[in-house]
Amino acid sequence: MLEGLLVDLVPYGKRFMENAHRWANNDSGFWAGMGRREFVTQAQIEAEYREWRESNRPETGVAFGVQTKDGKPLGYFGINFLSYHSRVANLGANIGEPDYWGGGYGTDALLLLLDYAFDTLDMRRVWLITMTLNERVLRQMEKIGFLLEARQRKATIADGVPYDVVVYGLLREEWPGRVAMIDRLGLRAR
Amino acid sequence: MIEGKLVDLVPFEDDFAIHMETWMNEEAWFRARLWERREPHTEDDVKKFIEKMEKSERGALIGFQSKDGDPIGGVIFDHEWQRVRKADAMFFAGDTRYEGTDEHLDGLLMLLRYCFETRNLHRLDASALAFDEVRIDLLRRAGFVHEGTLRQHIRYDGDYVDVEMFGILAEDWPGYEQKVAALDLQPSGIEPKPKPEKKDDKETEAGEAKS
Repeated sequence: MLEGLLVDLVPYGKRFMENAHRWANNDSGFWAGMGRREFVTQAQIEAEYREWRESNRPETGVAFGVQTKDGKPLGYFGINFLSYHSRVANLGANIGEPDYWGGGYGTDALLLLLDYAFDTLDMRRVWLITMTLNERVLRQMEKIGFLLEARQRKATIADGVPYDVVVYGLLREEWPGRVAMIDRLGLRAR
Repeated sequence: MIEGKLVDLVPFEDDFAIHMETWMNEEAWFRARLWERREPHTEDDVKKFIEKMEKSERGALIGFQSKDGDPIGGVIFDHEWQRVRKADAMFFAGDTRYEGTDEHLDGLLMLLRYCFETRNLHRLDASALAFDEVRIDLLRRAGFVHEGTLRQHIRYDGDYVDVEMFGILAEDWPGYEQKVAALDLQPSGIEPKPKPEKKDDKETEAGEAKS
């Protein structure tokens, strides 16, 4: 378990799977999927989970469940895919419970994940993508010190409107460490 | 077959596959497939790659050849994202004599033509290692727009190399005919490779000699 101030990162196990169906079909899927709206059945979720369990993890990626300090499952945070020879990890996240958006939960989870990527997996670079409509994530990236590296024109569509997809990257030497970042952001347990 | 000015797009049949073990071990291949680990590809790896692309519902490997039928290399669209109508564009001159020639460029143009004009895609992504000037020049001449740089993204020959990101939208694409006319493509005059002997032919000959 990776212990944060507001959340812990734990194995993405059965307790999370029980919520995955709801998370896949609510608004969080729209934000995480850059405008995706899908109708996902329980059977599809289970098939995806089986397929994912059989894939070559952690060589290909690392999945964590995010939960509150009292154990309520909130969503997924993880490395979607990585390369050990280039030492680069692509990050993905989905806080499936809209009530927990904007409260620092995602930021706390991200700081844990960054420490894990740099200090445990010895990555030297992490990166992620989002759409420009997702202002919450754009602000988070600025705050944590990611650099906007690329802007892919009209690379997604959300509710009928094309949006650019932005790529953010963070190098290890730009990462001050979780403790320093908590201090800088004024993040507190509550 | 789709006929272009200097090259034609054709199914990636045995006359291409026979070269693929060589092509997939050339440096040019690893520059094109820059996110893949640089490791030797056996005959079996090559076969698996071709089969994977044949089965793919979100991509295809297509051969491109000179007007006299000389196999040059392949163009690939992959990871087609149906909801957004976009895909990754990849191209390689397996026969490295063609690297950077107008035939190589025409292969890329034919991929764009096929993706935009036939498959009705809206956008294509492409990338290149920062030092790969030949590839970057081809992408720019084809009309790709530079959209950013992924810093120190790929380990290559002892360095962590930047990756240049490119994109082209259907609205950037003037149409194949206009594009080709504007670029004034010229054939390189490279001699076609001798056709490799087919295994079947040898067996037949041996059989005939015996009888």
